[in-house]
Amino acid sequence: MAASGKATVVLKAVKKITVQFCPFESNVRSTREFLVMVGSEKARSTNINCEVIPLVKHDKSAPVVDITYLDGDKLVLKGANLTSSEMLNAFQSLCTDKDLQAKAAAAKK
Amino acid sequence: MAATLCVKLLPKQGWLPLTQTVRHGSKSVTRHRRPMHILKQKLMAVTEYIPPPRVIPPGAYPYQRKRVQEDSPLTLIMKRHLKTVFEDSKMIAVVQNNASNADNMMVLKHRLHKHGIAVKFFPNQVVQSFLEGGLHANMAPLFIGPTVLFVSSEPKVKEMLSALRASQQMTLLGACIDDTLLSAQAVVSYSKLPSVSVVQGELVSGLTMLTSHTASMLQRHPAHLSALLQQYVKQRSSDGGSEGAPKAEEAA
Repeated sequence: MAASGKATVVLKAVKKITVQFCPFESNVRSTREFLVMVGSEKARSTNINCEVIPLVKHDKSAPVVDITYLDGDKLVLKGANLTSSEMLNAFQSLCTDKDLQAKAAAAKK
Repeated sequence: MAATLCVKLLPKQGWLPLTQTVRHGSKSVTRHRRPMHILKQKLMAVTEYIPPPRVIPPGAYPYQRKRVQEDSPLTLIMKRHLKTVFEDSKMIAVVQNNASNADNMMVLKHRLHKHGIAVKFFPNQVVQSFLEGGLHANMAPLFIGPTVLFVSSEPKVKEMLSALRASQQMTLLGACIDDTLLSAQAVVSYSKLPSVSVVQGELVSGLTMLTSHTASMLQRHPAHLSALLQQYVKQRSSDGGSEGAPKAEEAA
């Protein structure tokens, strides 16, 4: 469960994160850890408007993380065969890309 | 050999040659491991000694038992506590908290304490080793990550759910109410159920509806009853006639 690069998760470009899992399955550990990292106080303090919604289901479905960005893009992470650090890496890389894009757009204006 | 060469080429005595060919061949016995020629290496690899398998007599070594890690005294105390908790409480709910502050926890604890629900923290390892062979073994996969146990002797689900909804960080994973394992959605539907007495009353009323109906009919004037019976007979005959006609239409 190593933190990738920065210790906190920056959620500035994120509108909504929906974490959906079935706790009685055996492949949900990484998704739950991802939820903890993303739902922590530090992460929430970076963007108060971002909603982190955990959904607990019981239909033997695979764990899925649905992330909606401010500019309408969606990122779907299927956590059944991923580790939490991989999910965090992918998420953070996209977040930093979006941040850079937003900053470039703001600088142009 | 060098001396004879010198004799031939150097007639004058005591004359050293200008160039002295010195041959220092590489020694075969060295202080370090000499790198073998590749062919010799291959030969050595092919002709390695393979000893015959050593037969151990059956009673020579003791049976290799599995390494059972003994529980530390603290773990034993916690297991005893867990056992009493599981026996006393009718409702045990497992909730995951994503790093809520101490303030939120205090508020939540206060709210739950009003309804007699205790908040318990146990290390996951202890809980999983405790649940392994017991009755509630199927709860074991719930205890991953930061989990909190809500324990109470009476199943007050509505109040618990309202308190959980107020705090953003807590996620209900599952509950064990009256020795039945319930998922999160099952808990919600359980909270919407009416109380036991209401359900029993509904059941009794449903069963006795027919008998009460007949009792009320008999209590009325018998002329009323005879009129009803005549009407019923007429309806039966007319229904029988009308049923026969649609059936004939379907067959045709």
